[in-house]
Amino acid sequence: MSRIVVVTSGKGGVGKTTTSAAFATGLALKGYKTAVIDFDVGLRNLDLIMGCERRVVYDFINVISGEANIKQALIKDKRSDNLFILPASQTRDKDALTQEGVEKVLKDLAEDGFDFIICDSPAGIERGAALAMHFADDAIIVTNPEVSSVRDSDRILGLLQSRTLKAERGESIREHLLITRYSPTRVASGDMLAMEDILEILAVPLIGVIPESGSVLQASNSGVPVILDKESTAGQAYDDFVRRFLGETVPHRFLEVEKKGLFRRLFGG
Amino acid sequence: MESIIDLKGEMSLLTVLVLHSTDMHAISAALEAKRQQASHFLERSPIIIDCQLLGETGLELDFLQLKLQVSKFGLVPVGLRNLWEEAEAKAIAADWALLRPSKQQTIPNTPPVTEVNLTPEQPEAIQRLLVLDRPVRSGQQVYCPYGDIVVLQHTSAGSELLAGGSVHVYGALRGRVLAGVQGDTQARIFCERLEAELIAIAGRYRLLDEIESNLKGQSVMIYLDQEKLKIVPI
Repeated sequence: MSRIVVVTSGKGGVGKTTTSAAFATGLALKGYKTAVIDFDVGLRNLDLIMGCERRVVYDFINVISGEANIKQALIKDKRSDNLFILPASQTRDKDALTQEGVEKVLKDLAEDGFDFIICDSPAGIERGAALAMHFADDAIIVTNPEVSSVRDSDRILGLLQSRTLKAERGESIREHLLITRYSPTRVASGDMLAMEDILEILAVPLIGVIPESGSVLQASNSGVPVILDKESTAGQAYDDFVRRFLGETVPHRFLEVEKKGLFRRLFGG
Repeated sequence: MESIIDLKGEMSLLTVLVLHSTDMHAISAALEAKRQQASHFLERSPIIIDCQLLGETGLELDFLQLKLQVSKFGLVPVGLRNLWEEAEAKAIAADWALLRPSKQQTIPNTPPVTEVNLTPEQPEAIQRLLVLDRPVRSGQQVYCPYGDIVVLQHTSAGSELLAGGSVHVYGALRGRVLAGVQGDTQARIFCERLEAELIAIAGRYRLLDEIESNLKGQSVMIYLDQEKLKIVPI
């Protein structure tokens, strides 16, 4: 049985695709056969962040409409044999997504022996987002430490509890909160919501805090998931997050303002 | 000098009967079917008739018959809404009140959308109590028309609780909360932390934008004292 995980947020630009790429890569590196699907039909980004945009032949919509089979459309990642990407279509619009089509693709992937299927949701609460979450077992709710993002995540949590297959069956999706772009310095200065405040509002178990880091942008631009950048704090935090998702107990890091050492305090830096 | 009467504009929750047809026999049969389902619900309920969907066929309505039929099923007709303009004179002649069209009704065929229906679908027995053990999220609306609502968690900004009776929230109350929506002035609101956007009891409402700061975040009870909403710490 594959475990289907939706990465969602409501608000755009909070780091869903960055998270999906890092998450899927992390799971694959730990030995799990993983597929990551871009549900953002019309605005495909995932293939860019995964660095496989030049290898897209068929896409998600081609598979749904029967123009290609799942094996033809899946792109094998260059860095891991366990990782496959199903890109979104750039030319179609989101009406091409149907519930039956999505269900069939997920079923095909499950039969192919995938351990995890990551659904990278588009922003908003429309069709694409609704279908990305519909069949999910788990949801990663990506939130930035600012009020509108937190409000939108709250809305998404409501939809997860009412609009999904699990909800229709009277079960509930496992919810995990992932805070991204967290800057302890700006929290200390009052520009950003603190982690505790976000948890207080959303009341969902925290699975990770990814610090604000320049390496995320750098990784996106070079098409390498940031989790592969072992030097960066964001890469390490994503690795912690994947391990927590797999059941390990890993303490949270990068929550405090970094103290400058004596040397740096004396000479600046 | 003591006033004998007061005239007030007020928000009350009324049932709206949306007509899809002008066929009086069909309407009558449909009302009968509804009564079979839930006889208590209709009894002595004030009701507004919405004619939005009829468009110009509203002209064909037999307004005298309509009033008669509606009353026959135990409903108390309040007035007509969104009626085709040229039919208005006919309605007034049959002694109907015409209500100002609500703004949201200008788009045809869009009944208010409830995101989540946490109340059971079939109203066989009147629900006296609705207990929720999960947070009420932004965008969710919980409606218990004839009973109390108890929330064991918090409610979020942008959520809405509507109860015919009282509302209890064992956590932070952040959204809107309307108690006594059928007009029960005895209904009360209790919460562990008051951070609500709007509170209302039996149609008297108050925005909590510039509420006394000493009550914000407090454990409070809200009740109606004469015509005023009172908030007291508990």
